[in-house]
Amino acid sequence: MANTPHYAMVIDLNTCVGCNACMAACAMENQTPVWKNQWRTYVHDMEIGKEGGEVRRRFLPRLCNHCDNPPCMSVCPTGATHKLDNGIVLVDDSLCMGCRACAMACPYDARLDMTNDDLEQGKGFYGELLHREHPSVDKCSFCAHRVMKGLKPACVETCVGFSRQFGDLNDPNDPVAKIVESGVAKPLMAHLGTRPNVYYISDLERAT
Amino acid sequence: MGMYYSTQEVWTWWIAIYLFLGGLGGATVVTTCMTNMYVKEHKPLVLWGIVSSFVMLSLGSFLLFLHLLNKFNVIHVLNPMVLINKPDAWISWGTQFIVWMMVWSIIYALPYMLETPFFTKMPVIGTVLKLFAWLGNLSKKFHKLIGWLAVINSVGTVFYTGLLLQSFPAVALWHNPGVPLLFIVSAFSTSMAFLLLVLYLIVKREEDHALRVLYERTDVILIGVELLIIFVFFHYTTYGLESARYTAQILWNDMGWIIGFVGFGLIVPFLIELRGVTKGWGNPTPIVLAAIMVLSGGYLLRHYFMYAGVYERPYPAVNSNAHHAQLQPKTTLEPQG
Repeated sequence: MANTPHYAMVIDLNTCVGCNACMAACAMENQTPVWKNQWRTYVHDMEIGKEGGEVRRRFLPRLCNHCDNPPCMSVCPTGATHKLDNGIVLVDDSLCMGCRACAMACPYDARLDMTNDDLEQGKGFYGELLHREHPSVDKCSFCAHRVMKGLKPACVETCVGFSRQFGDLNDPNDPVAKIVESGVAKPLMAHLGTRPNVYYISDLERAT
Repeated sequence: MGMYYSTQEVWTWWIAIYLFLGGLGGATVVTTCMTNMYVKEHKPLVLWGIVSSFVMLSLGSFLLFLHLLNKFNVIHVLNPMVLINKPDAWISWGTQFIVWMMVWSIIYALPYMLETPFFTKMPVIGTVLKLFAWLGNLSKKFHKLIGWLAVINSVGTVFYTGLLLQSFPAVALWHNPGVPLLFIVSAFSTSMAFLLLVLYLIVKREEDHALRVLYERTDVILIGVELLIIFVFFHYTTYGLESARYTAQILWNDMGWIIGFVGFGLIVPFLIELRGVTKGWGNPTPIVLAAIMVLSGGYLLRHYFMYAGVYERPYPAVNSNAHHAQLQPKTTLEPQG
């Protein structure tokens, strides 16, 4: 398995400018139901600091964490949620029955409903380019269809601040692997045992 | 970073009803079959217990089915091969337990149904029953074996309702071994209550006095154990993780939980039934009232468990939990920078 990549993303919160281009790129690439404010990736606009003291504005992009131990996959009764050897967690929408157990299990709020109504609305929104066929409980795919062609995920490709970096943890020369190995980037809520593969570089502790 | 705490509106009252009817239906089949096999042969109890369970499970499963985004794909979990393809998913096991519980319990009740004019003279049902008369005869021959098959699948159904919630790691209230135990005890308590209603209000046979007393005694013990488990949960949530503390805040500031569930769903029926088994009541009214309270409490327990499960995240909920009530972090939890 040494040659098999293990994909991960590093997000540098110091360089995210909150332009939301990643959200737009993802929505167009993956045809998500943006009309109801549901996204595969979302950038939170947050104020960090104490009232009356120094308050800073920070942006926190989030997406599916493509966990090594994904609770959404273990609860999925149809096998629609599955994991590739390269670590990407995918949803096969032709198998998904939409019970939403995955949405209940996900600690990261990464799941969104793609309903029959959304598919209808998508026809008007995305026009003849619409490639979504089945209702499902959707999530980020790390743009697996692009990654398999040697491209980066749409959100990474479009990030103006190079805040998002995508790489292979199994390649010791990959910059993403080096950052993760250095310990400067940390995953969210690692204590839950999900072993997430999205890491954050944060200066939030210096925001006071 | 400060953390955000939110409840969910993905699985709400309709899942609470599903969990309640699943637990009640499963436990009722276990109780009626075991009573019929090992305590006292009781045709009306079997008929009422099993047919009611069949209706409960059908209704609960239908509610779940209604909320599926792609109803056609339910075929994947109805296929028994799902246990080989997805043995780690409790919904796979639950669906199979429910299906086979319904099948075996109806086969168990079939000989009695074929002897009962109410069923044989019923339009459509009567015709179908006549078509399956051979199965009724076979069932009579292997009645105990079929009873056990129904019992095993019913225990699985009851157990599954708690394990389903336990499989969600992000919520402290759900992801702990107490949930399946609580749901099992509650399910059997509600089944005792339901069967007491059947015995007191429908069957009404003097010869069933000893059976009613047995059910009342069992229910008193079960409610007592449930009260102890609820105390354990009180302790666990009040002095536990931050998300569990928010759960405690939600539950113990809600009169529906305190008075509705703990008061009228547990303590009052416990006292009424305790008095019934120690000194006895002159008439069945207090026990009937207590049974109704236990059944209401059984639903409220599941309703509040769905309602008060709190997620902890470093950001507000947006997607699947778009309608979450965002609980504001307390002063001590505000982002400190």
